[in-house]
Amino acid sequence: MFGKGLVKGLQITWKEFWAPKLTVQYPEKQHTVPERFHGKFVLDVDKCIACGLCANACPNRVISLNKQKVGKKQYLTDYQMNIQYCLFCGLCVESCNKDALHFTKDFNMNQYFYKNIPLVLVRREAPAEPLEEPAMGGEDQPKPKLKPQAPKEEKVAKPAAPAAESEAAAGKEGQ
Amino acid sequence: MLENLFVGTADWLRSLLGGIGFLPTEIAESIVLLVKLVAVLVFILVNALWLVYMERKVAAFMQARIGPNRVGPWGLLQTTCDIGKLISKEIIIPKKADKVVFLLAPVLIFLPPLMVFAVLPLGKNMAALDLNIGVFYLLAIASLSTLFFFMGGWASNSKYSLLGAMRTVAQMVSYELPLVLSLLGVIMIVGSLNLSDIIAAQEHTWLIFTQPIAFLIFFIAAVAETNRCPFDLVEGESEIINGPYTEYGGMGFAMFFLAEYANIMVVCAMATIMFLGGWHAPFGLTFIPSWVWFFIKMYVLIFIVMQFRWTYPRIRIDQLMGFGWKVLVPLSLANIFVTGIGMYIYRAIGW
Repeated sequence: MFGKGLVKGLQITWKEFWAPKLTVQYPEKQHTVPERFHGKFVLDVDKCIACGLCANACPNRVISLNKQKVGKKQYLTDYQMNIQYCLFCGLCVESCNKDALHFTKDFNMNQYFYKNIPLVLVRREAPAEPLEEPAMGGEDQPKPKLKPQAPKEEKVAKPAAPAAESEAAAGKEGQ
Repeated sequence: MLENLFVGTADWLRSLLGGIGFLPTEIAESIVLLVKLVAVLVFILVNALWLVYMERKVAAFMQARIGPNRVGPWGLLQTTCDIGKLISKEIIIPKKADKVVFLLAPVLIFLPPLMVFAVLPLGKNMAALDLNIGVFYLLAIASLSTLFFFMGGWASNSKYSLLGAMRTVAQMVSYELPLVLSLLGVIMIVGSLNLSDIIAAQEHTWLIFTQPIAFLIFFIAAVAETNRCPFDLVEGESEIINGPYTEYGGMGFAMFFLAEYANIMVVCAMATIMFLGGWHAPFGLTFIPSWVWFFIKMYVLIFIVMQFRWTYPRIRIDQLMGFGWKVLVPLSLANIFVTGIGMYIYRAIGW
């Protein structure tokens, strides 16, 4: 019949009028962020050995870190990411040997002032004297030779738990 | 009580002015009339603001969105806010524009809907002016807005504006014809040009049931007359930017924009009066005041016009002309013919 399509069109829009709305009102509500989301970075300072692999891996040279030698160990004093140039490729996270650098689900890194944009993950003074040096040093001394093979298994086992925790915490903050 | 709210207010004002004593009745009457017309003006402006909001809400709801919801409760102050923004903007006049006409067009564009609403009976005994030739006046004034669109388009001195203005004239003139012809059937049956008489004749049967084809023709022509989708070639964003409004900014644009909604209101109110029984309550639900019924009917029609916009794509100019002249005009003429024959048969039977 002539004009059938017109009525059909009206029926569709009428049905759509009463259908549930898909809008998520962002600042109050938020879509759940996927597991592997590349968001803001967090650095587990206790794990970090200030090796600088992440800074080397970065294609945009976003990461700048300073370290000082305290006793026999490198001590991380300053870890800053110029996040405005970051392309969130994740090469730094992948390159981290100690699994210290992670993504969170927080994607809101807006700042009112430009100078506040760089993400400062660590900024601290190096201690004058190594505090826990003997204990840590004693463990570390024999290890280096085993490193190339053994740590791999440890690495697989270890990161799962803390990573999941930190991500879950980030998710809660976001929502 | 509610039924006579506005009529009672008018009577109260009249008696108040009479009570003062030294005023002649003519002056008192004209003061009452002035108050009525100002009330109509406020009514139209408030409704136009609401309709912009409603349009955005309807559009959003049909697209699974929520629509404006930030300014005021449920976003109700959104249009007020927009108007405030538009007022604060600079009025830019193109260098080669005809300044007087350019500035006059958005001022005058509100005139036709205002003049039309002055005679519309919005409820029982609620016409600001009860004209004897109401329908004639209505059609004559309503088609006047073509002129102001053309003024705006011509004075802008821009090719898009002129194109849009030419389209306005072409479209409005060709759809005026089926609009008028479809009303002829109603006038034949009622036998009067007075709007109150037409409403009174629909006390038992709405004319949409005796004149369904006329209603369809009227409604389609009315949508075309107000330049609404699917007949919004005048604006035609994708082709001619914004038609006659292209060169307007700030409040000039806002006036055109609000006038569009005022025109929709006029047209829907006309359809309500002519075909949907005006302020008569259906099913004997007379406990709801007559003016509320009028608004309900009008807003149902307005909703349908809005639904058209968010359902149908825009048609081409040749399709528009073809549809107007080849379908609507012959159909409305045939409707008049059939109505006339029907009336003779009824009269012969002796109803």
